[in-house]
Amino acid sequence: MNFDNNNNNNNFYESVGNVTKQTTRPIVTGTSIIGFKYRDGIMIAADNLASYGSLARFKSVERIFPVGEFTCIAGSGDLSDFQYIKHLLESLMIKENYIDDGHVLTAPHIHEYLTQILYGRRSKLNPLWNSLIIGGFHDGEGYLGYADLLGTAHKSSTIATGLGTQLMHPLLRKSVEGRENEVTEEEAIEIVNDCMRVSYYRDARSLNKFQRAKITAKGFEITEPYSVDVVWHE
Amino acid sequence: MNFVPTALEFDTYGQNGQNGGVPTSLYFDPYDNNGGTALGLSGEDYSIVASDTRQSSGFDIYSRCDQKATKLTENSVLALGGFRADGRSLTKRIIQRMEWYRHAHEKEMSFRAISQLLSVTLYSRRFFPYYAFSLLGGLDENGKGVVCSFDSVGSYHDEPSCVVGSGSALMQSFVDNQIAFHNQQVNNEPISLEKAIRIVKDSFDGVAERDIYTGDSLDIFIITRDGVTTEQYPLRKD
Amino acid sequence: METNIIPRKGGFNFDNYKRNLFLEQKGLTLPKVTKTGTTIVGALFKDGVVLGADTRATGGSIVQDKDIIKISYIAPNIYCCGAGTAADTLFTTALISSQLELHRLTTGRQSRFNSAETMLKQLLFRHQGHIGAALILGGYDINGPVLAHIYPHGSSEHHPYITMGSGSLAAVSVLETRWTKNLERQDAIDMVKDAVEAGIFNDLGSGSNVNLVVIEKNKTESLREYSKPTPHHPKNCDYKYKRGTTAILKESIKDLVVVTDGEAMDIS
Repeated sequence: MNFDNNNNNNNFYESVGNVTKQTTRPIVTGTSIIGFKYRDGIMIAADNLASYGSLARFKSVERIFPVGEFTCIAGSGDLSDFQYIKHLLESLMIKENYIDDGHVLTAPHIHEYLTQILYGRRSKLNPLWNSLIIGGFHDGEGYLGYADLLGTAHKSSTIATGLGTQLMHPLLRKSVEGRENEVTEEEAIEIVNDCMRVSYYRDARSLNKFQRAKITAKGFEITEPYSVDVVWHE
Repeated sequence: MNFVPTALEFDTYGQNGQNGGVPTSLYFDPYDNNGGTALGLSGEDYSIVASDTRQSSGFDIYSRCDQKATKLTENSVLALGGFRADGRSLTKRIIQRMEWYRHAHEKEMSFRAISQLLSVTLYSRRFFPYYAFSLLGGLDENGKGVVCSFDSVGSYHDEPSCVVGSGSALMQSFVDNQIAFHNQQVNNEPISLEKAIRIVKDSFDGVAERDIYTGDSLDIFIITRDGVTTEQYPLRKD
Repeated sequence: METNIIPRKGGFNFDNYKRNLFLEQKGLTLPKVTKTGTTIVGALFKDGVVLGADTRATGGSIVQDKDIIKISYIAPNIYCCGAGTAADTLFTTALISSQLELHRLTTGRQSRFNSAETMLKQLLFRHQGHIGAALILGGYDINGPVLAHIYPHGSSEHHPYITMGSGSLAAVSVLETRWTKNLERQDAIDMVKDAVEAGIFNDLGSGSNVNLVVIEKNKTESLREYSKPTPHHPKNCDYKYKRGTTAILKESIKDLVVVTDGEAMDIS
């Protein structure tokens, strides 16, 4: 095989006909994730599917991971970029631990750090193709942040990414907005289940096998993967 | 070999100028428009900066409570429309430069100094601009209200009333008429702060009716000699 | 032998479309059509069907109209929600409803849902997607309540609950969690209202009020402004202009009737 056909030495580009493309594009992807505030803190959910285009490629991928004691990150979009972000945060936590000055990185710090990483990469036109949810417990209350490949970031009491912005966010807003301090854990679990069910019904890149994380004053807890009951009408 | 091209190296005209110099599409667009409107008014001894709190993209609402205006000093407030990530980054950069100034000179930057700083910061990215439309409101060295509006590459001017962001075309003519008395013959007595706030609320009510990217809630920053106070006002949520 | 007879082409004629493409390539810009963001919803219940729609019409990022009606009349027992190009939904439904009216006058019978559906989809298929009407058709005829959606290219499907338009994903989330077989009338109305409101609040292309139509056996009820979820703020200021606000640049009074002293009228 002749690998020298492409006389362009800059392998940042990939040439297809006359169109110049960047090598950066999502390949193995995770679909929408959600997060919201409730009485005890933050609830996050993400399914366990990694898609390869329209192929359901890996069906037991964990897309929520903890950072420290009181923060969890969930990610959608390109999975290799997500794992790179996970690696960055693990290195960061090791460095922090090594310094041993008693300083603890909390959810707002990690949110800011990730936003800057993502914005820095978008400014080099080499983005990390992810939308992230940062859930944590800080200063006696839940912290819920969002950051994406463009470096856009915000805090909100309900967050959904990807197709979930359209499919699940309306349900979250209806059940959570204005009553963040009333929603009990049982109700929060019901809300997660309802959202993930709708996502499974209507998002062709989703899977009825997902994990839930809660972050409260006691720390984080990530469930084992589980499913919800579904009914297909006609 | 440079693996990561900067904006200037990035060849938007196909490889090595091939493809007949016709621009080819980029796979990744580093910009977005997150909507939102900001209004600035200035009076004799006050100035007001108001902005809605909706953050959106396409037909989706990302957040209903995103503050687009930031208090910089006791006499200046910065509001930003356009691409939110650039706005955030720009605000951070300005705040950091202001802190350096404070350490170097043991005083706060004046309103005029901040507006000049903002202008040169924007121009420093002339060929990969901050897609942010800025509005700086505050009091000048004589305690007089001033509002400056900036384009995305640093051109700025001050006016008694100016609007930036998605609803600017709708709101500008209204505030020109009501605040700057354009096309009014007999009405030109200075507007009291209290009345100005009411006009601000009505302006946003009107724009929220017709601009889909403006709504949810309004942050009003009131800048007087006594410092900066804030007020919230609900807007349409649809 | 040479002949001047040109064989007639069969099928529908798309010459104008080709001409327009050609002209566009030459630099002509065609007038922009109003495509509205929309949330339209339909759901079957125990013995009827509810249709719902928001009332916002958008042109780009501007709200063109805050209170338009997106549920149109097809027949007394059939109504239709429209999304897509505003003019296309308006004219297709008007055309079909008039044809059905004539058909009813001829036959003296109630219109069938299937007639309306077939006529609409055949019209749209004939135009190969160039008529940008995305429809939800709901009705009640001798077969009971029926609900179908029709895409601009002419395909149609029957479902127990349907949403379309830019707010369809927001609305479907409500229907997927709440729709069950044999819903009560009021439950169905509430569910459709909430589905449209999900579109109104979460989709920027949809907004303002909720209009509903409930079709049952021998009874059709139109519920205009069934819900007004976005209250209008009263004005904080008075905007009456003082007399003299408008500049008078020039004043000239012309006498149209010239009064001259003349002889006194003879009243003797």
